[in-house]
Amino acid sequence: MRLLTHNSLKNNSAAAKGKGFPLKVTVAQIRVDEQDGIDDDTKISFIQGILPNLDWPALVAASQAMGIPTLPPALTEDLAENRVFLVALYHVLMNVHLVQGMLTCPVTGREFVVQNEIPNMVLEEEECEAVRF
Amino acid sequence: MSRPELTGPAAHFYNEKEARKYDSSSRMVGVQREITERAIELLRLDHSQPAYVLDIGCGSGLSGQVLEEKGHFWLGCDVSRDMLLVAQERMHNQAENDDDDDDDDESMDGDSNHNIKKQRKSTGDLMHHDMGTGLPFRPATFDACISISALQWLCYSNSAQQNPRRRLTRFFSSLYTVLKRGGRAVLQFYPETAEQAVLITECATRVGFAGGVVVDYPNSAKAKKHYLVLSFDRNSEQKRKAALKDGLSSAAEEQQSVLVTGASREGTKKAPIRKKKGVKTKEWIVHKKETQRKKGKAVRPDTKYTARRRPTKF
Repeated sequence: MRLLTHNSLKNNSAAAKGKGFPLKVTVAQIRVDEQDGIDDDTKISFIQGILPNLDWPALVAASQAMGIPTLPPALTEDLAENRVFLVALYHVLMNVHLVQGMLTCPVTGREFVVQNEIPNMVLEEEECEAVRF
Repeated sequence: MSRPELTGPAAHFYNEKEARKYDSSSRMVGVQREITERAIELLRLDHSQPAYVLDIGCGSGLSGQVLEEKGHFWLGCDVSRDMLLVAQERMHNQAENDDDDDDDDESMDGDSNHNIKKQRKSTGDLMHHDMGTGLPFRPATFDACISISALQWLCYSNSAQQNPRRRLTRFFSSLYTVLKRGGRAVLQFYPETAEQAVLITECATRVGFAGGVVVDYPNSAKAKKHYLVLSFDRNSEQKRKAALKDGLSSAAEEQQSVLVTGASREGTKKAPIRKKKGVKTKEWIVHKKETQRKKGKAVRPDTKYTARRRPTKF
């Protein structure tokens, strides 16, 4: 699971009442890609596209849990236009993988296991939100 | 061949053995590829800008790979863990194979960009998830959504708690939330009956999506493919933009887009004249002649003899 994925992931069970974000990360094993073979322009283009939607505090907290303390606490306009920063941000979002670990809902404490880099977000039918149909 | 959906839950059908079979059959891979290409075409993505795409029922990552080839980033969900493991293998092998190729070409091609392209790591991520429980993402996360041959699984309930309509509604309303405004979703599915296609489309349009179903090869039972194409109401979007531009408050604009009809299209034809009085009234005959004229057929002109009762049977 990448940090990019974690940044949008929430617990949407009925018990969480819409507040199941961000999930707390507990790390057992991590994998970092040194090289990804993608050119800088593509990276910057993609990051610029998703930047407005990122939840920065959640990203900083999660990256710290994954052993990356280098992200600044706040995202300024200068940083958002700095190419070097954007490429580094891409690396943090896309190349750091949680191989084995746990994601915990901040409201209900419900745990989602991450195994083989795949988070298990399967909810039981009873846990789901009621919906008018 | 009976439908796999009738045998049980998707996670059970796509076990390790089936997952391997699925991924290694070249015919299957070819078909799924074609469907994905068509779905991406219907998405009308701008391929010059990398998009963040949600792939629902990503399975062994076949559709994800096509998305990557077009330069996009994706997140795949599937309910079968075995399929996801196959997908992972595929993604790792893809990166490794590219590494091997790179060694051969390095001597011939000195262009550094070419080498970098060869070592491309996958831009996709995987998640184990049941789409009927709703998508667990923050609002407006994805630029687009794609789904290949997965949606119909929602129409079959595998436990007392599962209700297809409820699961479909939950899925579509969560999809509405997690897609960015202006985003589109194209979901290819195999409906068992026309009612299923209607059910699916109904649930989608009820939560607020605009759009409908595109059917490729409608005359062939085997080749027929259904694509549910969903978007946000473009008219309200266009009106809003125009209003902002011109500083106008009213938005009386001509409908510029063609609205693809949803499943709940009411009968738009006028009800034909009921044959209550007797068998064929003059009204009915005149109306029918009019209809035939509109179709362009040769029809006798209406005279005082039209619909007159004949003295003897013809």
